[in-house]
Amino acid sequence: MEEFRFLELCVYSAYENMAVDEAITLAMKEGKAPPTLRLYRWRPSAVSIGTFQGMTDEVDLKFCRLNKIDYIRRITGGGAVYHDFEGEVTYSLIVPKGHRLAPSDILKSYKIICGGIIEALKQLKIKSKFRPINDVVTGGKKISGNAQTRRNSCILQHGTTLLDLDVEVMFSILKVPKEKISDKMIQDVKNSVTSIREVLDRHVEVDELGNALKAGFSKALKIDLIPGALMAREWADAQRLMKEKYSTTKWNLSR
Amino acid sequence: MGDSIFKVPGGKLLKVKLTPSEGRILAIVIKGDFFLHPEKTLVALEEFLAGKELDEATLAADIQDFLDEAGATLVGASAADMAKAILMAK
Repeated sequence: MEEFRFLELCVYSAYENMAVDEAITLAMKEGKAPPTLRLYRWRPSAVSIGTFQGMTDEVDLKFCRLNKIDYIRRITGGGAVYHDFEGEVTYSLIVPKGHRLAPSDILKSYKIICGGIIEALKQLKIKSKFRPINDVVTGGKKISGNAQTRRNSCILQHGTTLLDLDVEVMFSILKVPKEKISDKMIQDVKNSVTSIREVLDRHVEVDELGNALKAGFSKALKIDLIPGALMAREWADAQRLMKEKYSTTKWNLSR
Repeated sequence: MGDSIFKVPGGKLLKVKLTPSEGRILAIVIKGDFFLHPEKTLVALEEFLAGKELDEATLAADIQDFLDEAGATLVGASAADMAKAILMAK
């Protein structure tokens, strides 16, 4: 089986997480980094928005500051995601352009890579399927959202898999006029989004999801995950990107 | 200055902030949860649209031509959807 570098489930800030993803693409562009899968969590909890979204349109920054929730713009499109430290695990898969897992047909490549999440959920005894454009659903409810970018001669796909979901907190972070947060809206979200703990009705640990994702990606994508680490140049690029881009108002509030 | 929010059926959300002037686009910002590859195409598209006439069919064709020339791929919305969202913000 093809070997991928595997960066074990780790915990970083929002700025570090997004900077590391981009730093890996820069190293891969130079032919210095192998295909890579990384798993990570966000501490402090954070909200990420799609690259084309307006930060102040989508996120209640005052609530975030008061509650020590970071906010960040991704380099990928898609929507706003709340990355609760206790409530989800994020993955990033980075492969060079032309790789078998990332055909030029974008929807097809979402489906292939999301196969890893579907297999991970299967290991947790949850039946799920890919729902175009970029979601994985179980029982008709979204349990994983994913986003892809193609740059630096590689394809990066990252995504979240929900372990837990607090709709009330989500509505406080995302900018929905408070008077519009009706019981019906909360019910609508509960009817369209779910989490592993809700489906299984038991306390699934973060590590259990992490292990399932590792096994799921390996099996579904037919890859051997070799534990590795960031190279010094990747880490240096990540530090630079974190300082010059991802932690700046210029980037995060650019739209 | 006008705003619009257009949920593409079966697709993503387009949010347009438009400054019109005498039936043309003076300035425009297109936001939303759609995908556009490469991402840098969006700013170039917004610049390209400045000065264009606010006619839905013409805009749809112009946007499509622009994306084709840029080798760009829009996912979750189409050029026609963007044109529609722009006209909705008039």
